Amino acid sequence: MTSEYVIEMNHIRKEFPGIVANDDITLQLKKGEIHALLGENGAGKSTLMSVLFGLYQPEAGTIKKDGKEVKINNPNDATALGIGMVHQHFKLVDVFTVMDNIILGAETTRMGFLQKKEAKKKVQELSDRYGLKVDVDAKIENITVGMQQRVEILKMLYRDNDILIFDEPTAVLTPQEIDELMEIMKGFAKEGKSILFITHKLNEIMAVADRVTVLHKGKYIGTVNTKDVTKQDLSTMMVGRPVQLEVKKEEAKPGDVVLSVENFTVPSKLHKNDAVKNISFNVRKGEIVCIAGIDGNGQTELIYGLSGLEKATRGKVVLCGKDISACSIKQKSEAGMSHIPEDRHKHGLVLDYTLEQNMVLQKYNEPQFQKGGFIRFDEVRKYAETLIDKYDVRSGQGPITVTRSMSGGNQQKAIIAREIDRDKPLIIAVQPTRGLDVGAIEYIHSQLVAERDKGKAVLLVSLELDEVMSLSDRILVMYEGEIVGELDPKKTDVNELGLYMSGAKRQERGAE
Amino acid sequence: MVFLIQQTLLFAVPLMIVALAGVCAERSGVINLALEGIMIFGAFVGVFFIRIMQENDIFMKEQGQILVLLTMIVAAVCGGLFSLLLAFSAITLKADQTIGGTALNMLSPAVVLFFIILISQQTTMGMATGGAASWFMIRPSTFGLPKDHSWGPFLDVLLNKVYLSTYICLIVFVLVSIFLYKTKTGLRLRSCGENPQAADSLGINVYKMRYLGVVLSGMLAGMGGFTYALTTANCTASGEVAGYGFLALAVMIFGNWTPLNIAAGGILFGLFKCIAATYQTLDINGDGVFMLSEIGISPYVYRMLPYLITLIILAFTSRNSRVPKAEGIPYDKGKR
Amino acid sequence: MLRIDPKSGKQKWYRTDGAKSVFSALISILIGMLVGAVLIVIVGLTKAEISCGGIWDGIRLVFLGILSTGRNGSELSFGFNPVNLGNMLFRATPLIMTGMSVAVAFKTGLFNIGAPGQYLMGTAGTLSVGLALGNAGCPVMLAWLAAFLTGMILGALWGAIPGIFKAYLNINEVITCIMTNWISANLVTWWFDSHGVFKNSMEGGKIGYIIPLKNVGVVTPKMGMDVLFPGSQANGGFWIACLLAVAMYIMMTRTTFGYELRACGSNRHAAKYAGINDKKNIILSMMIAGALSAAGASLYYLAGNTEFFWSTYLSLPAEGFNGIPVALLASNNPIAVIFSGLFMSMLSICGTQLKSLTAYNEYVADIMIAIIVYLSAFSMFIKQMLNGAEKKKGGKK
Repeated sequence: MTSEYVIEMNHIRKEFPGIVANDDITLQLKKGEIHALLGENGAGKSTLMSVLFGLYQPEAGTIKKDGKEVKINNPNDATALGIGMVHQHFKLVDVFTVMDNIILGAETTRMGFLQKKEAKKKVQELSDRYGLKVDVDAKIENITVGMQQRVEILKMLYRDNDILIFDEPTAVLTPQEIDELMEIMKGFAKEGKSILFITHKLNEIMAVADRVTVLHKGKYIGTVNTKDVTKQDLSTMMVGRPVQLEVKKEEAKPGDVVLSVENFTVPSKLHKNDAVKNISFNVRKGEIVCIAGIDGNGQTELIYGLSGLEKATRGKVVLCGKDISACSIKQKSEAGMSHIPEDRHKHGLVLDYTLEQNMVLQKYNEPQFQKGGFIRFDEVRKYAETLIDKYDVRSGQGPITVTRSMSGGNQQKAIIAREIDRDKPLIIAVQPTRGLDVGAIEYIHSQLVAERDKGKAVLLVSLELDEVMSLSDRILVMYEGEIVGELDPKKTDVNELGLYMSGAKRQERGAE
Repeated sequence: MVFLIQQTLLFAVPLMIVALAGVCAERSGVINLALEGIMIFGAFVGVFFIRIMQENDIFMKEQGQILVLLTMIVAAVCGGLFSLLLAFSAITLKADQTIGGTALNMLSPAVVLFFIILISQQTTMGMATGGAASWFMIRPSTFGLPKDHSWGPFLDVLLNKVYLSTYICLIVFVLVSIFLYKTKTGLRLRSCGENPQAADSLGINVYKMRYLGVVLSGMLAGMGGFTYALTTANCTASGEVAGYGFLALAVMIFGNWTPLNIAAGGILFGLFKCIAATYQTLDINGDGVFMLSEIGISPYVYRMLPYLITLIILAFTSRNSRVPKAEGIPYDKGKR
Repeated sequence: MLRIDPKSGKQKWYRTDGAKSVFSALISILIGMLVGAVLIVIVGLTKAEISCGGIWDGIRLVFLGILSTGRNGSELSFGFNPVNLGNMLFRATPLIMTGMSVAVAFKTGLFNIGAPGQYLMGTAGTLSVGLALGNAGCPVMLAWLAAFLTGMILGALWGAIPGIFKAYLNINEVITCIMTNWISANLVTWWFDSHGVFKNSMEGGKIGYIIPLKNVGVVTPKMGMDVLFPGSQANGGFWIACLLAVAMYIMMTRTTFGYELRACGSNRHAAKYAGINDKKNIILSMMIAGALSAAGASLYYLAGNTEFFWSTYLSLPAEGFNGIPVALLASNNPIAVIFSGLFMSMLSICGTQLKSLTAYNEYVADIMIAIIVYLSAFSMFIKQMLNGAEKKKGGKK
């Protein structure tokens, strides 16, 4: 007896200490279809896929392949069943070559010795057949993110998988690259391969998926045919309530220049070229300026350079009329800069400190919180309690909670509370909503808009095109360390933005 | 000159093999700070094994070379077993690797001295009869040739007054390097030190690979420890190897975790170590002038030199160094 | 999951993290000592010359060696032994200092395996200045202070080297510490080798040693220790160590400087982001660590009757390395370091008792210490087990 479905996951339950990540979830995948798995961050999509891929064992539920029940104990079992996965965070070894990464775990050997010649031939064939261009001898650390993704896809094809899982594959791509990927996926489906496509982007689902399964907070909401539903329906299913897809905000009323950057150059840690090349721009009072671009085009280094985490080699930075080019991190920050960092675990918080200790991370030395070198713990407590109240930061034990034990959303809220409350004229926010659920995203967006309306200058770095389009008053696109375009969000669209992001189009600046 | 090259090799070879031991562990993702302790243990086991063989008349002087070979295997196996303690704590229990390594570094001399005193009533244990040179040194007579036979300058360097262990170590060094870079298991092992999550997602058992890395490391270090005891300590064990394990770590770091650079680093370091040990009797160009001792620089300066040079080289090479990315981080499968 | 008392909002004391650290340390100690006892039994059974009585003696000395009062006829006798107890305090002094050195560095995220080198620099500084000033007829108190401070300053400078390498070149401090250890061993030997005035040539056969400081009268006052523990080496150095421990505790937990150091230790990137000068703090932390180690040496040699074997280029002082287990056992808490230092020195006294009263040797104590360190690496694991037991008992919420 053959089943209609190549893969069935029935009533899957998976718990982690403290949370139920998957609660009675059912997912059925037909042969040759593109099946989207929709849900916001933390809905349990990745956990479910990890169960299918053998990385986790479910507490309850069964998995069937072609109608027969199977047990997937590890990725080897999954591979044997023809299941392959492109992970959201690529699972590549940076210092290995493309070739080594593709064969790793599925090596051809003779008496234990690697036989790379045959493998190379096979990779070349696959690469030609599907138009997945890669340089097999390059090291992963030296190739673009787009090519890294092609390596991940080739890894699956090399293992002759016919059930392909794509976990948030478009997050790192330009709109044009996304279109390309969609074509490739359709090609796979036509050949009879089945595709599971994990995403929270509705446009992409409408474009390629045949059916959608929606999860919300670890629970199964339902499975629908794409052609029977609208985007609004899907978003309501995903979030559990009707959502505002647009950020509400008034027209910006830009004032004086707060931050001006001239001929700014920052070296790269990864390669010999500069990561930020001779760029100039300014940010004014009462506007949100967004730096858009694909990850790794110098945005991180630009902010590191501005905040002082990395040394700029050239350029002049003026903040509130003061030249801060040669200042220390502390001086820059005190000259009028709040900074919501890209990586909250690396830079934003000392995870082993309590919440109250983190709340005074830049302020512990101010007279309010110290006397003769001794910390005034009662003042710190009072201050932390005020912030927790005002910004609704939730945690197990209030100010004495160790921040490591808090949820990502509340950690981010704590950082935002701390940075906004420092009340500096410039707020730098780098991917402030990364990995958060819709509620937290809405909250953070409204906070940033409120600060703008109070007359703050906001410099936002974002990789999410929706966020860029809806939140910013002015867009600067970075490509390979340069600003290649300045756009007005009201006069442009995602496609034009994508052309700038991929370097296909550029404005000659300097006329202004 | 012959003497200088041979002496340098004597110092360099244990360093190289133990530095490679460090590479095996660190490439798999575990910092092996216990190299020193494992060397001490290997040296003790080796000497003890030789003693037992001698006391029970199982081997005679004539079979010295076979005994060396056998002892090296025994020392390697015991080094591997001892390193399991580190592997268990670092991999299975996910404990701090630096602390685990430090514990082994303390445990090994304590255990070794405890038994040495019980066995020999003093803090040094030597062979039961004879010495390293009379039993194990290769010279013309080993090949049944007259004592003063000479093979000519080149072969003399290689064959006269050398130890078999030096060559075994060199061969093992090459074999392990090939293993790391040319075989399937080597490729997998290295991937665990760089990105264990990636390795795991490809069905590679990270725990197994790390155990393999640490045990291999223990075997090489145990072997290196015995080699050190045989060639530079006249086949005695005394609960210390003069910081060689730590020096090997330094060689590993400035060798940038790659075998070829380690070989170069080991030889450079061995040269300085050799100068420090023998500068008084060192006659570089064979003209009967002991140049280094006549300059009048304090012996302590020469002895300091290897460490000082290491510091300086580290200062200059650190920018290009490429630490295995996942080294020191316990791998937790359940972690998201 | 943390459990909180609903009424007071506070955790029960025995459920706090600190209490769990103490429990896990005690478990490590217990297992370590049991292994020592088992070792005694096994060796006793395999060795013909050790009788059952000998095994029993050995076991008792492992646990109670500190109270041993020698042999009464053929029987071991136990009781209050002021000499042993006083010597325990005396030997604990350098251990507490080096333990604190390792602990402070640990809190800043640095593994100070360079304590032996810093200890040697302190030794050289204190002995040289103490002898020189003592011979010159300088007032004793002044000479004492100068000797103590010179030791600390030298140690601080020596500790700064790995700190600078770490801060500016990002070179692993473990390697630089080991290199500087051996460099200092040679440096100190060289210094004393070329300065014959410090060598003890007055007493026969003592030329290998430095003149003890009591010969010039530069000695730490007893501060009541001679009354409490007559006949022992105990002196006021122990009180000084305790005072320094309290000072370190306050510095780490109550001051902005301590806040900075700990921030650098637990997340260097975040500290940098917050405007804390991470490089400065790393160097300062290593300097403090170096000064503490060196102070341990100073206090040890300022006892007056301790002798230093100057040709030390082949060996490093064990007090330096033993700071590591002391700090680990104390979970890097300066106050707890006092107790773990005392415990370690107690074990070593037990070791010497074993050596002098039975057929075993003092390395049993070292083995126990090593096992305790090995187990303390699992402290996280033991704590998790304690948590697990608690959860089971508490059932589901």
